[in-house]
Amino acid sequence: MADNETENTPTASAEKDNKICILLNATGNVPIIKKRSWTVDPYKTVSWIQKFIHKYLKLDPSEQIFLYVNQTFAPAPDQIIKNLYDCHGTNGKLVLYYCKNQAWG
Amino acid sequence: MANDREVLRMIWEGQLALCFQADPDEIVGLQQPENFYLMVSRLSYLPLVTDKVKKYFSRFISDSQQDGTVWFDYNGAPLKLHYPIGILYDLFQEEGSQPWCLTIHFSKFPEDSLVKFETKDLLESYFMSCLKEADVLKHRGQVISSMQKKEHNQLWIGLVNDKFDQFWAVNRRLMELNGEQECFKYTPIRFYNEDGTYIQKLVSPLTESGKKKTVKDLLDELSTPKRKAVGAKTHGIDVHSETHLQWMSEHLSYPDNFLHLVIYYESV
Repeated sequence: MADNETENTPTASAEKDNKICILLNATGNVPIIKKRSWTVDPYKTVSWIQKFIHKYLKLDPSEQIFLYVNQTFAPAPDQIIKNLYDCHGTNGKLVLYYCKNQAWG
Repeated sequence: MANDREVLRMIWEGQLALCFQADPDEIVGLQQPENFYLMVSRLSYLPLVTDKVKKYFSRFISDSQQDGTVWFDYNGAPLKLHYPIGILYDLFQEEGSQPWCLTIHFSKFPEDSLVKFETKDLLESYFMSCLKEADVLKHRGQVISSMQKKEHNQLWIGLVNDKFDQFWAVNRRLMELNGEQECFKYTPIRFYNEDGTYIQKLVSPLTESGKKKTVKDLLDELSTPKRKAVGAKTHGIDVHSETHLQWMSEHLSYPDNFLHLVIYYESV
């Protein structure tokens, strides 16, 4: 992915100190994103990440991306990454799992 | 836990008088419908209590709009469908006057500011997710994951049908402390800003010196050099500054197991 698309995609480099590092893990029957580690603006929402994954994997519009924090719960689409990171981040990263079907209810 | 069972009951019984009015642009025909009045639980969610409202107003709108996703606004501010009604009221109706007049809409869903919950099942899975997140914070998720599916259902059904005993028979376990614990690991809590957004962060129920944290300690924690947090409101109550956070978590949490606090700030 081109780094100049920073407005619409997470950036590949983690220099900007206020950005949050997220780790994207595929789970279940969903294509894998090779690059797992991304940095995002803290005020981006869960639905923004979902749309990003959807676009990145070139999924069919009928397919849906579900996102889970630490394999436990699905945050609200309008939840911001900062809130999730502040409560559930580990070792400087927020670990997210994505799939095409509901995994952990 | 729950020595103050009467408090749980009072919180459960908190109600609001709502008045729903039509969006004049959506009404077909000459006659404007009368307003629709309803008493609702503060703890419930708009999609759970508005079936009758939707049915009533749908008679006055065009056929093409019947299938639209219904949403509500207060004074032009769209109301989140997945926030408990009590917190919406505490956020947007500062004078506390009732009935609280909302407008119902069948079209022009504001996708940028609201999340669609087209079915009650979607709202249920969001509610269960909140419970799971809260339990991760309180007990590392061990209590909720040890429960059976039917117990999870009982929490939701108890809320939907307004059955205090049914809900608390299960919720009691989520509010218990593990073994020797004096407090939860962290307090599940959302701090609301005036614009309706909220912040969430790790809040221990204990101070660094190991004492039980109070509302005053919490407000100090939220204060910055620029603005001072001066008050916290939930369930329409300005919470006393000496109230322990752990007690609040056990008694004043919404059914999703989070404390939802409107925080008031003063510029310094």
